[in-house]
Amino acid sequence: MKTAAELKHGEKARISDINSDNPSYKRLIEIGFTPGQEIELVNTSLFNDPLAFSIRGTLIAIRRNEADCIILS
Amino acid sequence: MSIDVAKQIPLITLVGPPNSGKTTLFNYLSGKNFKTVNYPGSTVEYYTCKIQEKFNIDANLLDSPGIISLNPNSPDEEVTVNSLYNHPEFGVPDLVIATADASQLSRHLLLTKQLLSAGFKVILVLTMRDLLEKKGLKVNTEKLSKLLRCDVVQVNGRTGAGINDLIISIEKNLEEIENHRKVQPYTISNQLSKENLLNLYSEIENLTRAVIEPIEIPDLEKINKQINILNPVLQESSLQPDLFTLKLDKILLHRKYGLLFFFLIMTTMFTSIFWLADPFMTMVDNFFSYLAQTSSELLGNTWYSHLIGDGLISGTGAVLVFLPQILILFLILGLLEDTGYLARGAMMIDKPLSKIGLNGKSFVPMLSGFACAIPAMLAARTISNKRERLLTIFIIPLMSCSARLPVYVLLVAFLTPSDRPWLGGLLLASIYIFSIVSSIIVASLINKFSKKLIRTEDTSSFILELPAYRIPKLKVVLKNSYLNALHYIKRAGPIILLLSLVIWFLTYMPNHSPQIDATGLNEEEIIQLEKSERLATSYAAELGKFIQPLMTPIGMDWRIGVSLIAAFAAREVFVSSLALIFRVTDDENIQSSLLTAMQTATNQETGEPLFTASTVIGLVVFFVFALQCISTIAVSKKETGGWRIPVLQLIIFTSTAYLLTLVTVNGLKLLGIN
Repeated sequence: MKTAAELKHGEKARISDINSDNPSYKRLIEIGFTPGQEIELVNTSLFNDPLAFSIRGTLIAIRRNEADCIILS
Repeated sequence: MSIDVAKQIPLITLVGPPNSGKTTLFNYLSGKNFKTVNYPGSTVEYYTCKIQEKFNIDANLLDSPGIISLNPNSPDEEVTVNSLYNHPEFGVPDLVIATADASQLSRHLLLTKQLLSAGFKVILVLTMRDLLEKKGLKVNTEKLSKLLRCDVVQVNGRTGAGINDLIISIEKNLEEIENHRKVQPYTISNQLSKENLLNLYSEIENLTRAVIEPIEIPDLEKINKQINILNPVLQESSLQPDLFTLKLDKILLHRKYGLLFFFLIMTTMFTSIFWLADPFMTMVDNFFSYLAQTSSELLGNTWYSHLIGDGLISGTGAVLVFLPQILILFLILGLLEDTGYLARGAMMIDKPLSKIGLNGKSFVPMLSGFACAIPAMLAARTISNKRERLLTIFIIPLMSCSARLPVYVLLVAFLTPSDRPWLGGLLLASIYIFSIVSSIIVASLINKFSKKLIRTEDTSSFILELPAYRIPKLKVVLKNSYLNALHYIKRAGPIILLLSLVIWFLTYMPNHSPQIDATGLNEEEIIQLEKSERLATSYAAELGKFIQPLMTPIGMDWRIGVSLIAAFAAREVFVSSLALIFRVTDDENIQSSLLTAMQTATNQETGEPLFTASTVIGLVVFFVFALQCISTIAVSKKETGGWRIPVLQLIIFTSTAYLLTLVTVNGLKLLGIN
């Protein structure tokens, strides 16, 4: 099962589910990470954490552990 | 208690996600230019006003901090959501104006949908249609209005176009309300399960698919109708972030060099706060010295003249002397924020800061702490995680604030050999580096014990929208800096003034008219000598003598103790009170005569020289750690909601300062440095 944390720089993928084990999962959904959406990893910081994704026409930075609960199809 | 609803002025609340143009709209309706921000959650304080007279609507308008959903995720959001349902002062809003970025419709409609299902009466205002038009798209507002069952208007934040449609809609909605009883909306945050949220989102996606249309250019109209497939293609293109932003981020958010740019930008900003503010601070300082002097000349050598001159006027000066720095700090931060860069800085610095229990969002408050801890603590409100916010506030007093600079300058001047002045700059720089390194160590230590000290466990998270880059609106940023400065004066001013008066009392009483041997002295010298005598026999001196047992182990005597106590009013007071207590009477060049006095002073207990390399370095260490600022304590109490944290800060930092000074002074003596 691939997650958004495993995306390579510039790689695109579609979200299949959001793992509700992560305490931030509701906020991730609220901010637009919903199943069916296409995301692209556009920027990573020096320490590979946080990661910036392009989603729904905007850029959102989230921590690696949060990206890890975004399951890709 | 019955409330006559008809006579009450209706309340309109503005609600919207961060970066949705909400505050710009508020500016239009209020006629005042408040803040337009890029950094999510930065409109923490409520702004309220009457709707501008020219619109001819008698209603109160309330601006609230940006929220993403009615399910709060931070202290700010909780306050916003709770007071949206029922504001402690204004009650339940009669009408809610929800803003949404037209180019971010699918994300921003979430809040509007929640507001509607909670039972609020809503007008939806679509902003930034120009961004959508750039992509060749537009929103069919009539259709959206029908589907949502609420009024939808488009307003251009930059030109104000469409504001009249909004006014008409407000009038219409308010008229409708007059004939009905106010409905209390119900809390929906507990219903927001994952399934509910996902269903809501798919509803919204259907909605946006139905209302976003290509702009109908006559020639292309036919073609568009022929190829119905065009719509999904356009949908995909509308999902592209701003291209310029993507390109600029390739440089500014570069994996390797991004952090380098970040530190360059921050260093430039930080140093410019100093040199830009310095002349203004001197001006304020001189102005109040002049005022104090003039008043004492007018009122003569009496106790009330001293109260007005040294207590009241100098106390006001102590409040206002930081104003230039606070203004410039907020101006530069505001400009950086408005360009969209600060959010990126927070992203880049998040990982290293999370190692010591902080958050990327802690960076700006910490940086502000180098100017003044008071605005820095206010800036910490943008941190959504409570534990991280409290920890940030906790360590802010360790950032070397500008009030410590005059003290460091004096102590460094004492340590610097006169033939090697460049050494002074080096010493000063190393003091700053030392203070940064120590604050990192202290932060990680406090983080280790945070369960006991801060008593808040909260899951750490970092979710931050990186807004598209844009040219900052100087006018708005200026206005906002002004408001922040005003806020500082209102919030910290009275406390600082009051405490200045207390310190004045302690250093003035009980021997208010001391007897001195005035033979052969001119009037000015008499006044100075009286001042010195008064201080030497004051309550503060008694307090200093009382703590003499604490001063002896660190090689100092009660006179430094008194100055350290006086420094609680403001750290830089240390210098002037040293001058008083060592009877430096030369007003023209206080620093050089104070230095001479320091070089010849002997410890009254031991008879050894009082100021040696070891005791002076010890004093530097003391000032790096000690929490010697009553204003900081007062703001910390307000921001953390209790006395627990400020008292802990005071005890921990001041005892650490004392212990480390003890170790430093005696360690250096052992090494033979004297």
